Amino acid sequence: MTTETYASNAVERSRLNNRLRSMVTQENLITLIVALIVAGAVIVPLVVLFVSSFKVLDPLGWDTTWGFGNYVTMFTDRIIPKAFVNTLIISSGSTVLATFLGVSLAWINARTNCPGRDYLEPYNLIPFFLSPFVGAIAWHNLGEPQTGLLNNLARDLFGIEGAIINIDNIWGVIWVTGIFFAPLVYLFVVGSLRRMDPSLEDSARTTGAGLFRTTMTVTLPLVMPGILSGAIIVFVTSAGEFGVPFKLSAPYGWETLTTQIFSKAVGDDANYYLGAAMSMALGIITVFLIWVQQRYIAPRSFTTVTGKGFRPNVLDLGPWKWLAFGYNIFFIMVAVVLPIVCLIIVSLHPVWTGKIVLADITTVNYVKTLFWWRPEAISAATNGIINSLYLSFGGASIAMALALVISYMIHRTKGFGVRMLDFLSMVPIGFPGIVLAMGVLITYIQTPIYATLWILMLAYITRFFPYGQRNISSIMLAISEELDQSSRMAGASWFTTLRRITIPLLKPGLFAGWILLFIIFLRELSISIILFTTGTETLSVGVYYLTNFENEPLTAALSMAQTVMLLIAIYAFRRLAGREALTA
Amino acid sequence: MTNHIETDSGAYLEVQNLVKYFGNDRAVDDISFSIPKGAFLTLLGPSGCGKTTTLMSIAGLHSIDAGRIRVGDVVYTSPAEGLFLPPEQRDIGMVFQSYAIWPHMTVAQNVAYPLEIRKVDRSEIDDRVASVLKLVGLTAEADKLATNLSGGQQQRASLARAIVAQPRLLLFDEPLSNLDLKLREQMRVELKRIQNEVGITSIYVTHDQSEALVMSDEIIVMSKGKIEQRGGPLEIYSRPVNEYVSNFIGVANLLKAKVAEANGGGQGVVEVTRDGQKIAVPCQIGPGIGAGDDAVLSVRPENVHAEREGDSSTDIEGEVTHAIFLGNHVDCRVKWGDFEWKVISHPRARLKAGEKVFLKFDPEHTLAVQP
Repeated sequence: MTTETYASNAVERSRLNNRLRSMVTQENLITLIVALIVAGAVIVPLVVLFVSSFKVLDPLGWDTTWGFGNYVTMFTDRIIPKAFVNTLIISSGSTVLATFLGVSLAWINARTNCPGRDYLEPYNLIPFFLSPFVGAIAWHNLGEPQTGLLNNLARDLFGIEGAIINIDNIWGVIWVTGIFFAPLVYLFVVGSLRRMDPSLEDSARTTGAGLFRTTMTVTLPLVMPGILSGAIIVFVTSAGEFGVPFKLSAPYGWETLTTQIFSKAVGDDANYYLGAAMSMALGIITVFLIWVQQRYIAPRSFTTVTGKGFRPNVLDLGPWKWLAFGYNIFFIMVAVVLPIVCLIIVSLHPVWTGKIVLADITTVNYVKTLFWWRPEAISAATNGIINSLYLSFGGASIAMALALVISYMIHRTKGFGVRMLDFLSMVPIGFPGIVLAMGVLITYIQTPIYATLWILMLAYITRFFPYGQRNISSIMLAISEELDQSSRMAGASWFTTLRRITIPLLKPGLFAGWILLFIIFLRELSISIILFTTGTETLSVGVYYLTNFENEPLTAALSMAQTVMLLIAIYAFRRLAGREALTA
Repeated sequence: MTNHIETDSGAYLEVQNLVKYFGNDRAVDDISFSIPKGAFLTLLGPSGCGKTTTLMSIAGLHSIDAGRIRVGDVVYTSPAEGLFLPPEQRDIGMVFQSYAIWPHMTVAQNVAYPLEIRKVDRSEIDDRVASVLKLVGLTAEADKLATNLSGGQQQRASLARAIVAQPRLLLFDEPLSNLDLKLREQMRVELKRIQNEVGITSIYVTHDQSEALVMSDEIIVMSKGKIEQRGGPLEIYSRPVNEYVSNFIGVANLLKAKVAEANGGGQGVVEVTRDGQKIAVPCQIGPGIGAGDDAVLSVRPENVHAEREGDSSTDIEGEVTHAIFLGNHVDCRVKWGDFEWKVISHPRARLKAGEKVFLKFDPEHTLAVQP
């Protein structure tokens, strides 16, 4: 080897070293680690789910063979095809109901002189934060033919024979799901109604179009993307909803895909592979719809909003404004007040027969479900409270940290893998919790995290970190990148900039996102129901346990405890995030 | 790759063969320049010309595809050698277009930040923050939150933050473009005064030619990722090398011409033709063109003399279409065939629309440049 080639080799080596050194920065290292974690958490369970769906369990349940048997079973089974149809009916029905309620309430609140509309808005949104499962339990106690409070009141007060309503059927599921998801549509629509440039409508009026015509040809088409987005989200969320059909329709012969997946995940009838195939079927439908919404509908909704602060046209309803007011009050009654009042009444009775017996009023149900130190405490309920608090505090904190780093990477770095990360943080939104949980169950059942709270935490974060990420991203888009860059120019490292500049600026968004996730985790059911074991029950699993194995008053007591915790969190959310964070 | 980069060891900042792609676009296309210590250089050009990309490359806010950037004896970036110094290690002060004053800190906290990062003692930080706030005239605003400042005050705070740590280099990214005209004119002078006082080598990016002319020691005019011309303000204004620069800096009458004679010493004659009138114009011949070449005749409006008497064989004979009285001068348009001359004349000449005039040029201030 001549000295010359030796020297050029040395140059080559130092060039490589330099390049390596300039690539290994805090920024790149953390980016890489987070990208790998997210990819692992999101992709692995879905791949395992997909692969498992092609494993067919033999009749004895000992062994598996590869094939399409599970997918064939889905069509030939006695129950599954009906469950499929029921899911579609429930999703369609609740989408129609929620869209009607959401759009009409948003219009009343944003564009009419309905009395007290500023005070009504927060109450219209409350069902969005409460547990639909608890809503179903409350409505069961209101509308069950024999013991339903409303039916009994009708019989006692008006002497009506039989029952005025029966909630325990597929229509009951549509009713409860519809009223609980109406705020979703409301949130999608109210922003563009409120921020619409009034000159768009005024110019239609000047051409001679009447009010009705202007509404139909200008206003509605402009908010249509918001309506469609909301409707699709409601359809997908209803299809993935487990608690409501589990309480109101499954026991009376209307199974849905989610209740069927549940029956394949636990119990004597367990067949993970068939459960995986059903999850795939449900997941494909929801992913397709979410893809359509994100790709084609959501981008168009920006064109209706100009971003300037406008004072929208407000319509004088005349005497009809009292009808609008009554309609809005009716919604708040059926979605919030009646269910909560009913739960309180039921929870104060030792047994619930449908009649209020003042002499029997007792707090024993609260003692049994809340006071964990008492011998008569029911451990599924008390465990549930403690576990859910752990999961909500820990999960929301970890998920927001992850969301922060991901948002930062997506909006502030231009490296490779950013588009990939953007995509990965969209994926979980497309899959119902129960589907993802099925994947997580099959993936980790043989690992030490199974039967611990960690598997629940992992699934919670994987499914819901995108909500936190969107919360942060929306603020990050609004604050100039130059604020970060000027810190780097001032000599601060990437991490110092994050700590001293980026995070303090994002604080409001971080808090709002944290509380939103805290609320979601505190009421989470469809993931927990698949992944819990004895000792790792959550709050909603506790409610499930009580409604399944104990009685309605105990169930109502724990439901109330959960509802009160959620209401406190909602109050904190509104205080911290302000009005805009909710309606934007 | 590295062998044909010439280094200028006397220069303080040296940018060599800088190339930056955005996708398939060459945002910066192989440009080189260098400046001595303490100088004030302006990168001037329309949006998309690559000036901000060049600045960001020096700042280290993005990587570059080829070339080498050095300040003093520190190489900031050189992809060929695998070198990339992260922005925080470059010791640069930067003033952003949006000022980028952190809204969650007071003015004093904003200005103290670079010193805190450099682990300067608290007492020294306080002294230096106080003196730099005095320099920019913000002493009274020290404890205000940044969001309570006016645009001009935010600008000053941003400048204070950029210079407080006495960085090697000061970068300005269109810092005045968000201010209103009056404030902008005032801040130009102020910025230049402060830069003179602290003596930090500065690079200033703008699309505003008058800003560039007022503030710079040197100007680099850029277009489409390349350097069109480099020189002092007077040189750029009075001796543009091509049509692009003549058009971008100030106002000029630009006319297609053919070089008839060139003596090699920078003087010569060009011919311009309109409506059968062919006029030979003695002028300065710019670099890169010789006899027989196509050229562009470039004459500033103040260097065109419109007179009622003249010789139609040597002077351009045209008709005044507008004469707008603007107090100290009259802004005229003189039609010559399909070309309209912009002419500034003295109010005492009392030119009126419809009059016939003869346009005369001073060879010293008449230029033939590359098309």
